Amino acid sequence: MTTQPTLRVAGDTHVGKVRTTNEDSMIVDPQRGLYVVLDGMGGANAGDIASQTARDAIREFVTQRRLTMEPKALLEASIQYGSAAVFNAAQEVRERHGMGTTVVACLIVDAKRAIVAHVGDSRAYLLRHGRLQSLTRDHTIVEELVERGVLPPEEAERHPYKNVLSRNLGAKPETRVDVFELEVKPGDRLLLCSDGLYGYASAEAMQYLLGSGDPPESVARDLIDLALRGGGGDNITTIVLEAPQPPPSSSEVVRTSGANAWWQRRARFLQVAKERGITKNPICRALPPEEALDLVALSLFQAIFHDLEKSTGVNVWTFAQNIAGGWFERGGKWEALRGLMDILAMSARTVVDEVRAGDVQLGFLLDIAVSRALVVAELALGGLLAERLRQVDGDLIQLHTALQETIDIGGLEAAAGEASADVDISFTGDVPFTDEATIPFMRPDRVITNPGISAELLGAIEKTLTIARARTSPRAELVKQVLTSLQTIATDDSGNFASAVLAARELWGVRAVDDASIMQLFDALDSARIITASSVHQISVPDAVRAKVLAAISAAHQRLVGATTGLVLEAVAPYSERLKDAQTKTGELRDKVARAERKRAELERKFANTIDQSQPWEKRGATEW
Amino acid sequence: MSDVDLVEAVSVLRDEVLETAEHDEGEVPGSEVFDALLNALTIGGESVPGLDLTLHDAVTRRLAWGDSEESVLADAERVFDRLMVAAERALRDPADRMVVIEAATQVAVTVARVVSLAAIGRASRDRAARLREEMTQRQLRDVLEKQRTTIARLEHETAD
Repeated sequence: MTTQPTLRVAGDTHVGKVRTTNEDSMIVDPQRGLYVVLDGMGGANAGDIASQTARDAIREFVTQRRLTMEPKALLEASIQYGSAAVFNAAQEVRERHGMGTTVVACLIVDAKRAIVAHVGDSRAYLLRHGRLQSLTRDHTIVEELVERGVLPPEEAERHPYKNVLSRNLGAKPETRVDVFELEVKPGDRLLLCSDGLYGYASAEAMQYLLGSGDPPESVARDLIDLALRGGGGDNITTIVLEAPQPPPSSSEVVRTSGANAWWQRRARFLQVAKERGITKNPICRALPPEEALDLVALSLFQAIFHDLEKSTGVNVWTFAQNIAGGWFERGGKWEALRGLMDILAMSARTVVDEVRAGDVQLGFLLDIAVSRALVVAELALGGLLAERLRQVDGDLIQLHTALQETIDIGGLEAAAGEASADVDISFTGDVPFTDEATIPFMRPDRVITNPGISAELLGAIEKTLTIARARTSPRAELVKQVLTSLQTIATDDSGNFASAVLAARELWGVRAVDDASIMQLFDALDSARIITASSVHQISVPDAVRAKVLAAISAAHQRLVGATTGLVLEAVAPYSERLKDAQTKTGELRDKVARAERKRAELERKFANTIDQSQPWEKRGATEW
Repeated sequence: MSDVDLVEAVSVLRDEVLETAEHDEGEVPGSEVFDALLNALTIGGESVPGLDLTLHDAVTRRLAWGDSEESVLADAERVFDRLMVAAERALRDPADRMVVIEAATQVAVTVARVVSLAAIGRASRDRAARLREEMTQRQLRDVLEKQRTTIARLEHETAD
């Protein structure tokens, strides 16, 4: 392997399992930033000569002209030069007429720019953010037909001319080169390869190996092993280039090292919580000490861990809401909850301090993340307290109104009794009382803990889907089931995906994985969509609400079809797995047959020698086997 | 419905919905879904003949280039979610919004249908390929058995 300050590169090549000569060639030249894969073709050993001639010509051209030409033009011209060299070499020797080679080349300009060029069916792939994409389109007759729209893509794989090249180096002195500039991003992996790789390995497996995080030299080797396991019917050449990884962000450090360090100290956290008397807190007192530790302290510890891993606060929020909600429902006092949270916060602080003692930087980042989680817990408690305060506020308003009415009635009675005395004793407060909440943002009609869907919208959604169900044919049971599912999902105020998945599973029921069965499901989903879209116009609500109703039902629809398709993908997954297992088994059997064949040949030679020596001189060699 | 040309009004949301700024040159993931949406809006109606075919073509092309069914589906979901937000903001007339929402739902269902069919097609191919593998294995086992017999005979004869 070669290492550059900005790039890690490795290349490897293998003759394959069938061919006797390797007609592939490659250039791995970190000094000039030149990386090339060539796949030669032509009878009478001309393929290897073609690829080597082009390789030498390209390298020579780039070496001589790299300081005087612009990179894109340089790479393109070098390939043209290589093509002319192969063509001239073919003209010199009669047996080499018609020889040629494919090429895929990459010229690294700087840390952020690369030039990629290719002719023929050798390919360049880019792995970015874990996703593999091909950067080149093969120059085959079939690909050109697909590109022109003459041939559907699904037929390309079966076409008899799928491997016939429309361009190569050497057929003519000049050829058309596809060349483009690529912006290189940190962590990108670029793969240059001959058809011996992708012809015998699936794109998924290549993506898996390239994205494995292994160093380029082992990836280049593993890719070759992969193609060999797939049959190895051609020469295989791979070059793997890796742009340097960006330094991990602080949130990534917390997600990985921080979460890990936190998890390793769970025993310590529980110990500190116990020492600080968590088991004696009124919230935990009814439970056996160990169970209290598990249910309360360990739960918070795990919630913080999961939130560190995912950079969220949802687990801690849920923990705080559950524990506080349950406690308040049982009529528990605030002081006990405050005391419990303080113990847990102090235990967390102790753990963070210990991490900081071992690694100052990690401790600092973990401190911020854990503090954030604890603030989230406090906010969740604050939300609950606000809710309780709002209830108290409402009660006070009612009490005050009732009191005012009592005073008014008393005042009127007094006024009636003493009217003759001309004394004005009617009730007039100094400050008129207004029937409003004392804390302006806590309106009684506002649900604080769950902004959710308004009652009006909920009602309209239910009405629309009721109309839709009524308009559905009594025999279309599946459509009715879809409409019921849509209602469940659209009115689920938790906003998560779970209700869609549950509904999809119910719709799925017991179903065969074939076209007819799945189409029945999607036909029902489509019918439900059409009926809903027309039913929404039959409810009497303002247009703005109608649009919201349709948006909510459509979002539910989208989730339901997404979840249903997820189930289809889940159902077909085992087929690929079984195929892979079968392929592995076939590969193993092939190896066994090859070994046995070698042994048999060896034994036959041995046997022939034995027999020959037992014959008289004149008869030796005449024995037939 | 207002006089707004919906196809044009939705077209201008393309960059926002597809987040084109975050992608390099070339095909942006989910663009096939957005194009299908424009197609559905152009033709209109409850079902668009050709929408299935167009989407089938686009999705098959993506799958042929190595994208997984999950990623195609995820892109479609992302486009749908972002479109809902963008349409809510950009289209003032509720009737216009409803037309776009209907078209988007139609495209979402069609994408899911196409992806499901593609997955089932792949499963059939995998099943057929596995049968071929098993047939090859049987032949290889026969060959292996014959080789073992020959080897045993040769070992016996050379030992003599």
